[in-house]
Amino acid sequence: MPASSYPTSPMALNRGSSPTSSLFKKQKNSSSSPSTAASYLSALSQADARARNAQRGTPTSTPALSLSSSLTSSTEDTVLAEEDTDDSDGLAVPVGKPPNSEQLYTTVHTEFGHCYNEEYRNISQHPLGAPIVRHVDQEPPYYILFSTYISYLILIVLGHMRDFLGKRFHSYSYRHLMPHDGYAPLNSDFDSFYTRRLKQRMDECFLQPVTGVAGRTISLLDRYTPDYNHTQIMLDTRTRALNISSYNYLGFAQARGGCADAVEEGMKRYGVTFCGSRLEGGSSDLHILAESVVAKFVGMEAAVISSMGFATNSTFIPALVSKGCLVISDELNHASIRFGVRNSGAHVRMFKHNDMKALESLLREVISQGQPKTHRPWKKILLIVEGMYSMEGTMVDLPTVLTLKEKYKFYLFVDEAHSIGAIGPHGRGVCDYFSVDPRKVDVLMGTFTKSFGASGGYISGNTALIDRLRIRGYSGAYAEAITPPVLTQIIASMASIMSIDASVGLAVSVNKLGLPTSSSSSSTLHQVTEYHHPGPISQRALPHWLSLPPPLASGAEGLMRLRRLSFNSYYLHRGLDKLGFITYGHPSSPIVPLLIFNPAKMIMFHRMMKDRKTPIVIVVVAYPATPLVTSRVRFCVSASHTKEDIDSVLRACDEIGDVLDLKHGLSKGERWSVNEVCERAVELVHIPDNEH
Amino acid sequence: MASATSTLDTMVLSIAQSLSAVERTFYKLPGSAIIERYVRSSHQNDPGRTFLELIIFFLVVRTLLQSRTRADRNNGKNFIEFTDKEIDELVEDWVPEPLSKPLDDVEAAELAAIPVVAGHNGPHPTLVNTGKPTINLASLNFTGLANNEHVKQRSLEAMRRYGVGSCGPTGFYGTFDAHLQCENDIAEFLDTEGAILYSQGFSTISSAIPAFCKRGDIIVADRAVTLAIQKGMEISRSTIRWYDHNDLHSLEEVLQSVEKERRKRKGPLTRRFIITEGIFERDGTMTDLPKLIELKQKYKYRLILDESFSFGTVGRTGRGLTELYNVKASKVDMLVGSCAIGLCASGGFCAGSRTVVEHQRINSPAYVFSASMPPLLAVSASEGINILRDTPSLLTRLQENVRAARVLLDQVECISIPSHPASPIIHLYLRNNSSSDNLLHPSASMSSSKPSNPSSPIPRDPPVFDIEKEERLLQEVVEEAMAQGVMITKAKRARGLEITEAQPSIRLAMSSALSKADTEKAVHVLVKILKRKFR
Repeated sequence: MPASSYPTSPMALNRGSSPTSSLFKKQKNSSSSPSTAASYLSALSQADARARNAQRGTPTSTPALSLSSSLTSSTEDTVLAEEDTDDSDGLAVPVGKPPNSEQLYTTVHTEFGHCYNEEYRNISQHPLGAPIVRHVDQEPPYYILFSTYISYLILIVLGHMRDFLGKRFHSYSYRHLMPHDGYAPLNSDFDSFYTRRLKQRMDECFLQPVTGVAGRTISLLDRYTPDYNHTQIMLDTRTRALNISSYNYLGFAQARGGCADAVEEGMKRYGVTFCGSRLEGGSSDLHILAESVVAKFVGMEAAVISSMGFATNSTFIPALVSKGCLVISDELNHASIRFGVRNSGAHVRMFKHNDMKALESLLREVISQGQPKTHRPWKKILLIVEGMYSMEGTMVDLPTVLTLKEKYKFYLFVDEAHSIGAIGPHGRGVCDYFSVDPRKVDVLMGTFTKSFGASGGYISGNTALIDRLRIRGYSGAYAEAITPPVLTQIIASMASIMSIDASVGLAVSVNKLGLPTSSSSSSTLHQVTEYHHPGPISQRALPHWLSLPPPLASGAEGLMRLRRLSFNSYYLHRGLDKLGFITYGHPSSPIVPLLIFNPAKMIMFHRMMKDRKTPIVIVVVAYPATPLVTSRVRFCVSASHTKEDIDSVLRACDEIGDVLDLKHGLSKGERWSVNEVCERAVELVHIPDNEH
Repeated sequence: MASATSTLDTMVLSIAQSLSAVERTFYKLPGSAIIERYVRSSHQNDPGRTFLELIIFFLVVRTLLQSRTRADRNNGKNFIEFTDKEIDELVEDWVPEPLSKPLDDVEAAELAAIPVVAGHNGPHPTLVNTGKPTINLASLNFTGLANNEHVKQRSLEAMRRYGVGSCGPTGFYGTFDAHLQCENDIAEFLDTEGAILYSQGFSTISSAIPAFCKRGDIIVADRAVTLAIQKGMEISRSTIRWYDHNDLHSLEEVLQSVEKERRKRKGPLTRRFIITEGIFERDGTMTDLPKLIELKQKYKYRLILDESFSFGTVGRTGRGLTELYNVKASKVDMLVGSCAIGLCASGGFCAGSRTVVEHQRINSPAYVFSASMPPLLAVSASEGINILRDTPSLLTRLQENVRAARVLLDQVECISIPSHPASPIIHLYLRNNSSSDNLLHPSASMSSSKPSNPSSPIPRDPPVFDIEKEERLLQEVVEEAMAQGVMITKAKRARGLEITEAQPSIRLAMSSALSKADTEKAVHVLVKILKRKFR
């Protein structure tokens, strides 16, 4: 099959009639579901032929948005372009109904799964006025807690015995832990005890080298260890696995498709690097454009971009607060926030995770007491919370925080590393989710790694603040500027979520999708100069050379991604609950932690998931990232997963959960069977939050 | 009366009976004999001792029962009790400072004058500010890799293989084969056992330092280390001793004084580190590596060397200071470099022994808690190394340009250049009218006087300069040069955030992508402006 390059792709042609109805109409006519690879492919070629005939009929209707850059023809956005169609692992070919011609050619199934069933969508939004459902931690039975503690005890005792004997009988291998030649050990045996004696036992769960795109599936580079994880030997083989671990919430980790084409164009125009820091000759027009796009996306006046997510916090927080200021920080805040706060010299107080009562009493205490010893009033108080917590999947109670903010006059810094793009009906993070004006928050920080398939981070706020940060944050003067390919990816992915408003000529009628547009959708030459949050972005606010294919430009695909992500999050969360597991976090969060407790079960869970016919790779996290007893598996669902993918994760969990005795949530009577969960998925997802 | 005594008697009797019952049950308890023996031996007919033990026992119980989380609050007498109403009033009265001061006119003007490149950055970029092509002496493109078509092609291919983002921290499926390849390439290039790749150059050293240095460890550092190192040391909470900038004699004195201090205190052996830079970001001076290695080995210190500005810029093939001085890179315990600066990609690395590298994979915050670098940038870094290895002419050209620039600049009277003659970054200080020429060579002036206090970052004779005035004058030079088609920049600083303030300077970055003629032309423009301005 020849490569069908984007501007002349069959998809482009249907825009004239009605892109929305054809994209999202339920396909009821396909009666039988060919499930084999062969039948799928034949359906595909038929569809393609149909589309091409249509193309010959109406060759003139090229949309305005795709005029430039017909050079990006190297993409082969067809299912057939995958490296191999070997479907022995059940990951290469979509299950279920074949798509029709309009639905093809946008993604590669292994990167971004094909899922055309309109029922598998959900809108991520907090119902206005509804009470916020607080997460209640479920307690496991006592025998589980007991056995967990015993396991750790055994591991620790054994470890110490091995150390004791090893130092005496095998001293050479302990050399780096003992003082030698007048050097103190780089790492004392005490400090590294946990790493050597506990973590090393489960090293196969960490630092797994991979290759390819970290999309819906990922290719593991197989390795084995001959000596209990002291060394890892790489094999030449690869295993393709279902990836429910990467931070790829909206599925923008793609090597092909509209965004990747844009990145290629960006690299051709800007190269790979900007050589130097932003203030010392590393700035470019692309930075300025990208920053304005980000500011519009999050709904703030201005934004500044840093080349690393971790560094966004660690290098900008010291520019916000200093000695004499107080930082109030949630106890589960990310390490980068702690790093930055420690560098700032400000005083820090912590409050219990997400506990608004504790926060208020702390606020009353610190404001009334003032600075320690001197009792002088604080210069300023900065509350730092995360929109969504990476280990718990819990969401900040933003409305309450804002009420407190009004009363106690602190400044609010929300780290949206995991929530931006991932939640809210328009993907604009927690503010969007709770329908709150983002400008009520002083500083919105976020990263591009998670939802946008890029890297780096941003800080946004009012113009005065951001300008101050540009020259006062370390990133501006000392750290390298973010690179062109990453910037282009950010611009392209954000624009496709916002939808592009061409404003003149062919107006993109996005209203039919239910996407609120500020501009009138009438075909008058009404020029939208001002941006209304959250709305489409004007074509003129984007690089002139950026041309996204219609489904991305119209926002239809972005919306589809948001809704698929929300569906998948709810489905996995509630599915696991119904199967009887203990999960943490908010159901709309794409992070779904499943509690495992016993340390030995973590490695077993990991291995059993990976050794299945359709291998699934998962992330297990344990102490010190979590409290000692609550070791967990952390699933990160993505818009790129199909409902069938989530089904297979649920089935796998169900089987393994029975073997490993992990079901301690719902009592047996209330549980659903896995078949019931899969069949009633849509119903499950649409239960309102407070009734579940 | 009698009845009273009888009731008293019965009371005494019943007490005695119950006491003996308690005693019997106590002896029946397993282990009671041990307690009894302990009490007897500790009592030794001395009630004072028992009393003391009881006090200790109660203190222990109290400490154990005390809530730990409220320690802050009960922290001594400092806590003042308020009623709710009072607190409400205090909250009402409290007026916080604004979150940030708006920029003043000078700052705003400076921010507006930042050169912004339109399109591809390189030796002759077009500036958005002026709309004209310029000669670039500001961007860090030392070996011209930023414009290498081959690197670009390979990065494009990598993008089509991996996408853009890595979508995960290194520990959790964020380690791509491209990263491993890049780490291998660096290690092989430098001839060390291993290397570890970070996703930002700046964060590399500020995270690597706290990975090794902990509370109680000793760091001996140069007084003019870059901000990234300062911040890393701050996080580490180690004891820091300072030596005069680039003065190894002063270093030796500090090392001796630390050793003396340790002997005096008879403390345990702690980890000791020397932290310095290869070519200093602040002024372009260069460390005498062989001497440094000698000192480090003599006093048994580990060396953390930041080669951000020397890796990829000096040495025959750009291996950095170790190649320049022909020292084995494995003699440097932690060799930190930047792929962003030296290889025109992104990120940084720390090379060293296998133990050093593996240690960071678990203990270095910016490695563990951050998404890994986009794989396509790792590929471009790898390609950069390949090119450096195969084309030593890039480095020769760079050095030629450096020499050409220095020849012109050294003649200018109104400026002084602290940078090493081989350094590809050249800092220009305004020479003060007064005879404070000495500040350029702190070692020269210091040798006669008493040494500085090693526990203070401020040297004994701190150089005198007027930051505001010099910054203003230099900014005028920069803007004038930009108007004449030469892109240069001041060394930008986060003023007020560094431990000691650096003297304002213009920082030129040489590039082998520029021809010698272009370099001379650009430097000539600058020289003319300087001469005219500060006659």
